[in-house]
Amino acid sequence: MNESKSTERRPFISFLESVVIAAILLVLVQTFLEDYAVLSGWNVGIRNKLLLAGFFFDLFFTIEFLIRFYYALMGRRVGRYLTLERGWIDFLASIPLLMFNSGPFALTLLTGSGIALGLGGILNLLKVIKAIRIARILRFLRIIKIFRRIKNVSSPMAQRHVASITAISVTVMVLCLLFFTFFSSTLKINGLDIAFSKQEAATADYLAENTDNPADFVLALETLKQTRTNILIVKYRGQTLFSRFSNDYYSQYFAPGDYSYLARDGLELFFDQRAYVSQLSRESILFFVIVVLVVLAYLLIYSPHFALTVTDPIHVMRRGLEETDYNLEVKVPARYQGDDVFELARLYNEKYLPLKDRTQNQDGESVIQLDLGDVSRILPEEQES
Amino acid sequence: MDPTQARATAFINHLLSNPALNNLNPLRKEQQILQFLKTNAQSLMPTLSSPQFFPGQSWNQILRLLYAALVQETDKVLQPQLEEWIRQKISFSFASQIQPHRIPEDQCSQQMWELVRRFLQKPEARKGLLGPVTAIANDFVGRYLEKCFDDRQYVHFELTKVQRLRLEIEDLKHMIHATLLLRPAIQLFSESGTGEGVESVLVQPQFAATALESMKEQLKIIPPELLRGGLYSNVSFEEDKQIDATARLSAIFSSRGKNYKPIARVDRGANTPDRSWFSITRRNYKYYGFDIKMLDEFYKIASESGW
Repeated sequence: MNESKSTERRPFISFLESVVIAAILLVLVQTFLEDYAVLSGWNVGIRNKLLLAGFFFDLFFTIEFLIRFYYALMGRRVGRYLTLERGWIDFLASIPLLMFNSGPFALTLLTGSGIALGLGGILNLLKVIKAIRIARILRFLRIIKIFRRIKNVSSPMAQRHVASITAISVTVMVLCLLFFTFFSSTLKINGLDIAFSKQEAATADYLAENTDNPADFVLALETLKQTRTNILIVKYRGQTLFSRFSNDYYSQYFAPGDYSYLARDGLELFFDQRAYVSQLSRESILFFVIVVLVVLAYLLIYSPHFALTVTDPIHVMRRGLEETDYNLEVKVPARYQGDDVFELARLYNEKYLPLKDRTQNQDGESVIQLDLGDVSRILPEEQES
Repeated sequence: MDPTQARATAFINHLLSNPALNNLNPLRKEQQILQFLKTNAQSLMPTLSSPQFFPGQSWNQILRLLYAALVQETDKVLQPQLEEWIRQKISFSFASQIQPHRIPEDQCSQQMWELVRRFLQKPEARKGLLGPVTAIANDFVGRYLEKCFDDRQYVHFELTKVQRLRLEIEDLKHMIHATLLLRPAIQLFSESGTGEGVESVLVQPQFAATALESMKEQLKIIPPELLRGGLYSNVSFEEDKQIDATARLSAIFSSRGKNYKPIARVDRGANTPDRSWFSITRRNYKYYGFDIKMLDEFYKIASESGW
């Protein structure tokens, strides 16, 4: 009864697994497009839709993780799920992303409030932007999940080895990047964010110093308008003194995170962060390409190499040992003939197979292709007739 | 038809129609079924000795009945195939070229066909036909001979210079096919038994010489050179280094045919079937009495051709 239920559920589970793989592939495309949209200057409408898509993907993977975790909990195999079954990847590639990356953005978009900007009042906004964007790197861990789903039945060992080495490589890369991002100031590795922050603070300070003298202030503002092209809006006591673009332009080309905000004694300044965000997108795309190429290299170069030098010869030898009428030799590539596996294969070819051949010849019998079950099926018909 | 015999035929036909045997030639099917019956005697006995099948008969009697039916059913397919080969596909025009006098082709093929029919009557000789039939059906001779003649190495030298056969490659192929079919002739001189394990049994050169003399007396039309090739293909090359090249080739191809198993796809990481077989057989050449140099050449051809 239970067995039949589980048999009925198998196609449904297989369908869900296929949906997960499709979602992983789609989210990789979405991640790439999110950065590409920034570099190509796509309008905010499209970028927001991509951000929302990212949010829904993160939500989907969070639900997937929670379901798997729930079943692991019910089956009392949480430890196994989180370690051997790589549940930790499911976790890192779902909940942190939803909480720190797509969740806040989606909330900003859906509620129309500036959550991200609000955080700017507490923390350095550029660091927040960078931290949020860098968290997206965790999405690359999902590539590893594809390996877990693809079943190479002929060689589960090759699949496991390649999946392990891919997981190690991608995880090390992702963690290194996260580590350097979060500890960059401690490690005194200052990037563009610090330079931008200092320049914005200096600009705000300079203008704030001149607010007492209107003539100096106007002169300073005129100079900064020309020399600091990243100044977007300057307001003083609620009144807009300067705006580089029209409101329509802002709404069309400035997404949350594309600008920063600073306030100094009644003076409010908005700065253009698109150059910095573009830099982050360039880095992100570069990292994306590196991860994808590393994964593809393992899949297309290392995996066949592993099969050629480890699993294929073992598979042939196993069949030769197991099946009476399987007498094919192991192919021994000249450049790998010194490998332990091929040393073994050489012995198999030169000692075992000739011995097996002689033994079979002495027995004088071949493998019977007929099964007694086939005859059992025809006997009742005979009896009826 | 006798009801008992009809039941035996029906049972055998059920077995023959099994999809597991679809890709096999008639003789191999026969061998498979015979082996199946012997291996599963204990399981089959209670049912086959029941009133619905062969009541009151011992297992040996049942086996004899089933074997007779099996041979009859196999021959329905095998005999027309062999007759077609002997009368139409194998051209005996070479016979006149290896003899000082002209030999009528139709008489030669007729005598050959009569001889093969004698083989089919004797279990040992019948079983000995498996390798030759498979080798001819899969054209091993044609494929390898062409390469040998392109390369003009050992096999070519042995055929043209040592055995001094001045034949076109096509005639040579027919001659080796005919030699292959004559190979089981040695079994006509053995004691009749179960027919098991006969393919691998080598005979002494003296035994082959006696058999040849006897065959020459019986068969006046088939050239003695051809008979010698067929009979001496059962002698180890280790025992007699003067064995004709055609006989040595027949021994190798018959053994290849016997061990041939159609493979849909070779496993990744495995060598091709022919290459594997020649490689293994090279290591067992003394055991089988093959000419190692021929095996080396065929191994090289199989490796280069991806066979």
